[in-house]
This record gives sequence, C-alpha cells and structure tokens, in this order.
Amino acid sequence: MASGAIAGCLGALLGLGGGVFLVPFLNAWFGLDFKTAAAISLVTVIATSSAVSAGTAGRNLINLRLGMLLEVASAAGGVAAGITVSHLSDITLERGFAAVAALIAVLMLTRLERRNVIADTTVDPGPLGGRFHDEESGCDVVYRVRRLPVALGASFLAGNISAAFGIGGGILKVPVLTAWCGVPMRVSAATSSLMIGVTAVASVPIQYANGYINPPLAAAAVLGVLVGSRAGLWFGARARAKWLKLLMALVLVLVSIIYLRRTL
Amino acid sequence: MIDDDSPSLVRLEVRLGHLLVTGVIASATLLATGLGLWLSGSHTTAAAWLLNAGLIALMATPILRVFVSFAEYVAMKQWFFVGVTVLVLLELTVTVVVALSRH
Repeated sequence: MASGAIAGCLGALLGLGGGVFLVPFLNAWFGLDFKTAAAISLVTVIATSSAVSAGTAGRNLINLRLGMLLEVASAAGGVAAGITVSHLSDITLERGFAAVAALIAVLMLTRLERRNVIADTTVDPGPLGGRFHDEESGCDVVYRVRRLPVALGASFLAGNISAAFGIGGGILKVPVLTAWCGVPMRVSAATSSLMIGVTAVASVPIQYANGYINPPLAAAAVLGVLVGSRAGLWFGARARAKWLKLLMALVLVLVSIIYLRRTL
Repeated sequence: MIDDDSPSLVRLEVRLGHLLVTGVIASATLLATGLGLWLSGSHTTAAAWLLNAGLIALMATPILRVFVSFAEYVAMKQWFFVGVTVLVLLELTVTVVVALSRH
C-alpha cells in the first residue's frame, strides 16, 4: 500500500503524471496484473490532470477551444480502447507497453534541446489560436493553430494508448502540437494536462466496472501522486530539465527492455 | 474575434480552475479518510463506501468540467463549441452506460 504512494510520488517527481513509471512499478515490481496496474495508473492521471490544471487556470495558457475540440478525438480513442482492452491478453499489452516506453524515450531524447520560439507577434491568431503572456521573454505572444487534422489524429491515438497502457498521453500529443501544429510548448503542456483528465475518464469507468481498480490501492496511488506532484513542481524548478529528461529516457529504455524480456 | 471574447474565456478558465480545486480537495479528503479507516481495519463498510465515493468524485470532476464549459459556451452563444462539448459529453455518456451495463 505504501509502495503505491511511493510510486505515485516518484512518478510525479519525474513529471509527466508518471503513469509510464507507475505502471511498471505496480505491474513488474509490485506484482499486479497489467490491466489492474494500468487502470490504477489511469485513475492517478485524472487526479494529476485536475490538480495541475487547477494551478495553471486563469493564466491564459490553457487553450480551452483547441483542448475541447481535441478532446472529441482523444475521448473517442479512450472509449474505443476502454471497451476493447478487456479482450486483449496481458502479453499483448505488455509488448505494446514496451514499444510505447521505447517510443517515449526516443521522443524525449530528440527533444533535449528543444525550445519554442515565436518571432512575429502581430499575426492574427485565427479561430483556434491564442495569445498569452510569456514570462521568459516578458511580452505577449500570439500563435495560430495549423494542421488541425494532424492534431485530431494524434489525440485519437493518444486516447487509445492512454486507456490501454494507463498513461496520460501528453508525451505523444505535446510533441505533435509543438512540432507540427504551431502551438507553443507551455500552451501545449497546459492544454494537454487539462485534456488528459477527460481522456482518462472516457475509459476509467469501464475499467472500474470490470473490477480492475482496487479502491484502497488506487486511493494510495492517487494521494501519493497529489503529494508527489507538489514535490515534483518544487524539484522541477530546481533541476536542469536536460538532465531530468536524460534520466527519464534512460529509465524508459530500461523499462522497455524489461518488458520485452518478460514477453519473449 | 479572439479579442472580443477573450475576457469571457479567461473567466471560464478561472471558473473551471475553482471547480477542479474543489473536485480534487473533495476526492482527496474522501480517499484519505477511507484509506485511513481501511488501514485501521475497523469500519470496513464505511471505508469501502468512502473509497468508492472518493473515486467517483475524482471521475466526476472532469465530466463536470465539460458540463460547465457547455453551459458557458451556450451563454456565449458560440454554437460550434456548444456542439463540440455536446459531442464530448455524448462520448462520456457511452462510457458510463457501458460501465453501468457491465457492473
């Protein structure tokens, strides 16, 4: 039980809501079966989403219009995976998880040095774009949303992966939104944090009804994540983002290898 | 277009922020109390009830968030986004219906 809380803290400390770390911890180390571990992790994703978004709300960083539009796709992905996941074997899911962990590690490594720069502030933001005050440059920043179908597709996929593997899906959406759709990093992250709650809720009730969620363990994990995300904010503000990402990528590669070995 | 309704969008964001804080505090309180009772080994029925109530409160928070957005977009007469929130609500209804049918 305490391990659930520790896993929650550890995951949140490393950022990302921590599902991708919480699942292997509960599954491979703590001995829960994969679906139970993923479902509990997904419950903590809801808590993370609400807690983080409550903190960023009001600073104009969350793009409510874009978020709501993408939620149509991510929730559809969540519902679809929520219904089908009980028909998949744990081996299939574990192999899939190994692939997703490896993919996230690669994404993280390619984005070590990435910073988003917005040059022109006179552009018309368009119906989905927005404007926010950037603390780093000290001025107002305007952005437009491009390639909406790509963003919708990525959100649907993120919804699928989120429900099947118990992760938030932000790690897949944020790179797509920043790299291809013109959304600044901080806005992508804030919008994604808000979205993952609804994405998770699109499948958690089904997993709850299927009996994959053990209430005391889920409670311990949720409380752990809520405490851990506070600690994570404190630690994240003091640590070098680059080294943190490198460390996380290494852990994910390790997780991926462990899962591949288990299933081969 | 953005400049005209920016203040109401910010207001919506603040309102949703309050809703999320309330949801997190309510579910965390229920879960912590439930977990405490469960660990103490006494009052197991009460513990199970509190834990389940906490989980349901947690799940209800994002759903309520979509409801509030829907109401606000109606008030703003932004019909496209009213349609979008309705779609999300329909998807969440499918989940809840499937969940209840399997319960």
